[in-house]
Amino acid sequence: MSGAMDEAKVGVYVCHCGGNISDVVDVKAVAAELGKHPQVAISKEFAFMCSDAGQKLVIEDIKSGKINRVVVAACSPALHELTFRKALQRADLNPYLYEHVNIREQVSWVHKGDHDAATRKATSLTRAGVEKILRQDRLESIHVGAAKRVLIVGGGPAGLKAALDSAARGLKVTLVEKSGRLGGHLHEFDTVYPGGQSASELLGKLLSAVSANPAITVVLGAEVKTWDGFVGNFKAVLSTGDAVNAGAVIMATGYRHTAPSAGEYRFGKDDRVITLPALIEQMKAAPRGPLTRGGRAVRSVAFIHCVGSRQIEGVHAPQEDGKVNDYCSRVCCTAALHTINALKERQSDLAIYDLYRDIRTYGRGHEAIYEQASKNGVLFFRFTEEAQPEIRESSVVVKDVLTWNQEVELPADLVVLVTGVKPGEVAELTAMMKLPTGSDRFLQEAHPKLRPVEVANNGFFLAGACQAPMDLVESAAAAGAAASKVAAVLSKDFITLDPYVARVDAEKCTGCEACLPECAYTGALFMNGSKKAEVNAALCKGCGACVAVCEPRALDLAGWSLDQMEAMVDAMASEVAP
Amino acid sequence: MEHATSLGDKPPKILIITTIASSYTGANTVGQARAQYAPNTYILRVPDPVMFPEDFYLRCFDKGFAGIIIMSSGSDCPYEGAYGRLSARVGRTYLKMKEKGIPTTRLKLTTVCTVCKHAFLKEIDDMQNHLKEKAA
Ligand SMILES: Cc1cc2nc3c(=O)[nH]c(=O)nc-3n(C[C@H](O)[C@H](O)[C@H](O)COP(=O)(O)OP(=O)(O)OC[C@H]3O[C@@H](n4cnc5c(N)ncnc54)[C@H](O)[C@@H]3O)c2cc1C
Repeated sequence: MSGAMDEAKVGVYVCHCGGNISDVVDVKAVAAELGKHPQVAISKEFAFMCSDAGQKLVIEDIKSGKINRVVVAACSPALHELTFRKALQRADLNPYLYEHVNIREQVSWVHKGDHDAATRKATSLTRAGVEKILRQDRLESIHVGAAKRVLIVGGGPAGLKAALDSAARGLKVTLVEKSGRLGGHLHEFDTVYPGGQSASELLGKLLSAVSANPAITVVLGAEVKTWDGFVGNFKAVLSTGDAVNAGAVIMATGYRHTAPSAGEYRFGKDDRVITLPALIEQMKAAPRGPLTRGGRAVRSVAFIHCVGSRQIEGVHAPQEDGKVNDYCSRVCCTAALHTINALKERQSDLAIYDLYRDIRTYGRGHEAIYEQASKNGVLFFRFTEEAQPEIRESSVVVKDVLTWNQEVELPADLVVLVTGVKPGEVAELTAMMKLPTGSDRFLQEAHPKLRPVEVANNGFFLAGACQAPMDLVESAAAAGAAASKVAAVLSKDFITLDPYVARVDAEKCTGCEACLPECAYTGALFMNGSKKAEVNAALCKGCGACVAVCEPRALDLAGWSLDQMEAMVDAMASEVAP
Repeated sequence: MEHATSLGDKPPKILIITTIASSYTGANTVGQARAQYAPNTYILRVPDPVMFPEDFYLRCFDKGFAGIIIMSSGSDCPYEGAYGRLSARVGRTYLKMKEKGIPTTRLKLTTVCTVCKHAFLKEIDDMQNHLKEKAA
């Protein structure tokens, strides 16, 4: 870094963003103020920096040798940081010698009423960007060799689809399934919503495509037992003894049904009370004719929604880990209504009462299923979580919100608890692979909108209901997305990683080992033969936990060094009046 | 005793430390909604605030920041164990602040997600009000 700073010539470009920025921030004043910085060689403002013309400005200034570092003050880096990095590359400059300062979402759009202050703030932030880039090294992306095989954990519909899509992209696949058969929960259903296709036909298609594909190796009755390695080169040993070397992993471990807690709605005490999956199983086993219970015809059924979902602390019994499931299980409303319609089809005189808190038929074609249930004569009653329905000898009593809390007693030969879903039993696996889970215990994506099927851990992807309650359409979409992401990662013989990882200045390292317990990633940080800390860049996640405890500042996070952060703070703290 | 970083007649600047994965995007969401807040707030973007040693915060106070809000990703943090380590560091920073006579209320550790507009604005409001009270 040090020497680099002397020869640094920074180009600063302040964007008007049409009037999005310049209507509030005096962009000319910002550019003029930044131009006074001794190491800023060029400071300009321009209408649209992200336009071809804007990018050309930067490229020409670099090519003419006037500048060798770039700061653009514009919109959020999420939108155009990459645009300008690529522009630097086109000008043969290291793409990491670029800093993007956000003066739109975090200045002009939020300080409309005080133009002077907004201008002062934009100046401080841009100056901070200059100070950061002055201390930036020419970082190089990290390259690691890649095994062109993907390991898919879980052979439900999502795992099967991910396997087929990965194989179609030229990858070898090892599909590991814990149970003795592929297919996951698809085995449980007779027909599936939306569309009402036969579940066994759907599954049959998936299974024959998988078994006909020579690129896919299926290992049944197996689990991952040991885990090692990093993106491009993961090493797993399965419970069957098979060893797998994979470049990437797709997690497709699915979900489990929640069970009602002991005595909830008299479950376990009254044999009229069953769960939705149990009813679906019964209907699949005897697909025609009227429903029976204990050899007797069923004439009335009450469905109760949100059992094991949207739970409230203090109202509902907690799960095994002491927490309640406060999330919506999403699939159960439509699953219940789809089942209700199937029941009505086989027994039109069956009285069906649907007791719900909210009906969430959110997906494409789901609302039609709800409508059909209404047309079929199903009666809907709405209850609140504080006043749950009560199960009596041969009836259910509900305080119906829709009729101003009138207490209604409904005959019920059968009570079906619409149970929710919870993640598969993967605690051991996630601890071994060090995968993040959300507060709902489902596996967690890196970003819900920008990186929805990627895990923050490099080389891990998510498919299907292991990430959140999802139906088959959503699971297939996620599986397809995960397979394309994996194919993009493993498309070359090597993998390119962002260089934002910890690094060690061996001369400064005293070998005190204070950093070692800070690192949560096995093998990422270790003491080498010379008793100096060393970082395995492929394993380091770049959190910076080790940096904080390194007194001699031998450890740093490339691109986010403490020196850079302090210089930015200084620039923000210093009052700059344009 | 009031520490050397007392507010004096300078505007009480607030440093907001945000995470790339969560609160920085949250701050953008606030902008997209055109919600307004005071301009004496300066957002610093980092992968995770766990990278900062205790002295970093003290240095920020020395340099003139009146308040610091660490908007972490909390339990949604994508880095293994980082949130626990961060809160332990903030705990130790509080001890150092006490030693130096800096009110610990000037440093706040909180959690803000990508869509937490209200939480983001509330944290700023709370810190502003607190600093105003202190200055009065
Ligand atoms: C009552 C109910 C009815 C539903 N009806 C419909 C419907 O009609 N239409 C629809 O679109 N959706 C429906 N769904 C949703 C549907 O079941 C899911 O979308 C789908 O099963 C998700 O597929 P998956 O592969 O992600 O998970 P799963 O089907 O749960 O499969 C996961 C697989 O991973 C395996 N596994 C788990 N852990 C491990 C491990 N550690 N190692 C190896 N293997 C492992 C499991 O054994 C299983 O085979 C319904 C859901 C419920 C609860």
